Amino acid sequence: MKSQSLISSFHPANEPDTLDSAERAQIDASTRGPVLLFFGSAIFWLLIGSLLGLISAWKMTHPSFLDGSAWLTFGRLRPAHLNAVIYGWASAAGIGVGIWLMARLCRVVLMHSKLLISAAIFWNLGVLVGILGILAGDSRSIEWLEFPGYATPILFISYAFIGIWTIIMFRFRKPGHVYVSQWYLFAAFLWFPWLYATANILLIWQPVQGSAQAAINWWFAHNVLGLWFTPIGLASAYYMIPKVIGRPIHSYYLSILGFWSLALFYSWNGMHHLIGGPFPAWMVSASVVASVMMFIPVVTVAINHHMTMRGNFGALKWSPTLRFTVFGAMTYTLVSLQGTSMAIPSWNTFIHFTDHTIGHAHLGLYGFFSMMMFGAMYYIVPRLVGWEWPSATMIRWHFWLAAIGISIMVIALTLGGILQGFAFYDPAVSFRTSLDLATPFRIVRGLSGFLLLAAHIVFAILFTQMLLKLGQPKDGPALFAKPSETDKEVAAV
Amino acid sequence: MTAGFLLLVGGLIFLSGSALFAFYWAVKDGQLNNLSQAAQTIFDQDEPVGTPTDRFPPKNRS
Amino acid sequence: MNKLPLIFLGVFLTFASSWVGLVAYPYFTLGRMQPLPDEDTGGYFPPAMSGLAVAGQRAYAANGCVYCHSQQVRLAPLSTDIQKGLGPRQTVARDYIRAQPAFLGTMRTGPDLSNIGARQPDPNWHHKHLYEPQTVTDWSIMPSFRYLYKMQQIEGQPSDDAVQGLTGPHAPPPGFEVVPTDEADELVAYLLSLKRNFPLPESPEPKLE
Repeated sequence: MKSQSLISSFHPANEPDTLDSAERAQIDASTRGPVLLFFGSAIFWLLIGSLLGLISAWKMTHPSFLDGSAWLTFGRLRPAHLNAVIYGWASAAGIGVGIWLMARLCRVVLMHSKLLISAAIFWNLGVLVGILGILAGDSRSIEWLEFPGYATPILFISYAFIGIWTIIMFRFRKPGHVYVSQWYLFAAFLWFPWLYATANILLIWQPVQGSAQAAINWWFAHNVLGLWFTPIGLASAYYMIPKVIGRPIHSYYLSILGFWSLALFYSWNGMHHLIGGPFPAWMVSASVVASVMMFIPVVTVAINHHMTMRGNFGALKWSPTLRFTVFGAMTYTLVSLQGTSMAIPSWNTFIHFTDHTIGHAHLGLYGFFSMMMFGAMYYIVPRLVGWEWPSATMIRWHFWLAAIGISIMVIALTLGGILQGFAFYDPAVSFRTSLDLATPFRIVRGLSGFLLLAAHIVFAILFTQMLLKLGQPKDGPALFAKPSETDKEVAAV
Repeated sequence: MTAGFLLLVGGLIFLSGSALFAFYWAVKDGQLNNLSQAAQTIFDQDEPVGTPTDRFPPKNRS
Repeated sequence: MNKLPLIFLGVFLTFASSWVGLVAYPYFTLGRMQPLPDEDTGGYFPPAMSGLAVAGQRAYAANGCVYCHSQQVRLAPLSTDIQKGLGPRQTVARDYIRAQPAFLGTMRTGPDLSNIGARQPDPNWHHKHLYEPQTVTDWSIMPSFRYLYKMQQIEGQPSDDAVQGLTGPHAPPPGFEVVPTDEADELVAYLLSLKRNFPLPESPEPKLE
């Protein structure tokens, strides 16, 4: 942050820098190794994480299922599931999408791909060691930070490589406008290491005393959602939606407002996980206020995406990317508004400690972020392997199994959690009754897990086919052909 | 607790002040001009505005 | 919005604001809180934990108890935790200063454990419950922690620390006994230490109608 560079100009060009398709193909090709490696790893951990989640869900309603062993006890499988899907699937997918978007938007060929390939290897190693460590009993049971202290440095090394790469790419980008997706990616890639380092130092390596741990824990965990996953998801949506339908973002002013209000308010939300807890009242109140203020960035983004899509909703019929991305974007609005409601203390007193929270978490991480990542991967992978997805039917199966699965899961947990919460609140109702109320909804949740696992198996098969260039032979990459006239339903700008 | 209070209030004043300054500087420097053009940077001659760039793979192949 | 330093500064400062409020502030205030002296006994509030109980926190963490059990009593009247019998008063920051880590928890799949040591003061109850929860509470969904116990043949006299009154499908057959491992003893010592019912000036017991 030299004061000279604050004032001196990078001379942004007034014309947006244009790429021709050869340059674009070259940039895409340069990202192939690292991005496919991150995507492949992510899908692997998605399968593992889905299986761990499914088993955990059934253990909750049938406690004798696979019991009696330390490695498979619910208290270890459940955090193993959480960490596998957060760090193994979601973060790896997000990094892969971020790398590709960064290369495209910086309009330069990816440099130092070996740095990123090493990062991917370290990342996978760290996740593997971490998950085995949790199952072995070395977790500290700090939510979202369960990896033991011998696994997290491996992730740090990986992240250091990614961080360095991000700065280099950004520094050597072609001059021109910095697109909104890049602000979000740049911010996410800066915030995550700061979050992760603070949390690890103050909670694992030199733990602070007492309830300060909980405050820092939830500042960390909520910010992984809001300042790591959300910006990557929004970066993807801001690129994919206009790019697929061929129409620019409706209002760039709203993009700026959305970005800065997210940056300002989101990081204060963390204490809303601890309403009623052992903290000075102002900390909890500040988080409640920030949770309500989140209305601004969330509605801003919703308006922007909706107005961009307006007149083009027919495109959902012919674009896999758009289908997943728009599902994710709409869910983002929904889950954020739900989150705001959950932070209001008079409602929170009912739904705190219930399955309602779990429903909300899955709506956000799966309904928003994972669906968003699926959409991005459907766009990116063909452009890296030079091949089209082999089966439209399988893509549709993936979408519907995932969409229906997550809807059932969230509805079940949300309703079950509300009933549970009212039972918790009533002094005349026993704990047993609250449990009996929640059980049928938990069983439905367990069934929905099968749908999600099936969706992921379908996607994994598709991805493998792409890697091996399986499927019917084609005359070159069909995706670069213009859609036929009957397919074109985009409104001209 | 006064040290904590000073930390918070001082921090908030500093940060709000920086934010206002940054906004003022951004407007003065022309950061917020040409926004609609900025929205078009992701399009170019081969993938221009008005052209969709994604579709389901075709079902029937010979 | 094209200048890297502008974006960097903005991103840095917005984040720094929450870091100051939600990390640095609790670090320096809650993180440095001291126990209060107890004039009657010469001890402290919260009371010191035995060595076994301190070690038991590791067992609590290793087996993921926090994913089903909270340890927080919220304030009346916004919450009915106190009326429900979770504890006589709200738990406050000073209650957790000896906790490593502070297992506040965010789920009540099972009951809150802030005062379980006061509700269930008998160690054998805890051992029976951990070994096979459904034999103590037949509608329980808590998993069995019998892997923290050893089944062994009775040699001569039964061991002093053998778990008494076990029933159910994994009860020891005649001539056998179930003995807790060190980890089980530590965990139970920790559970027995969970009592936030001593007086603290910052958390008076509310008068409930």
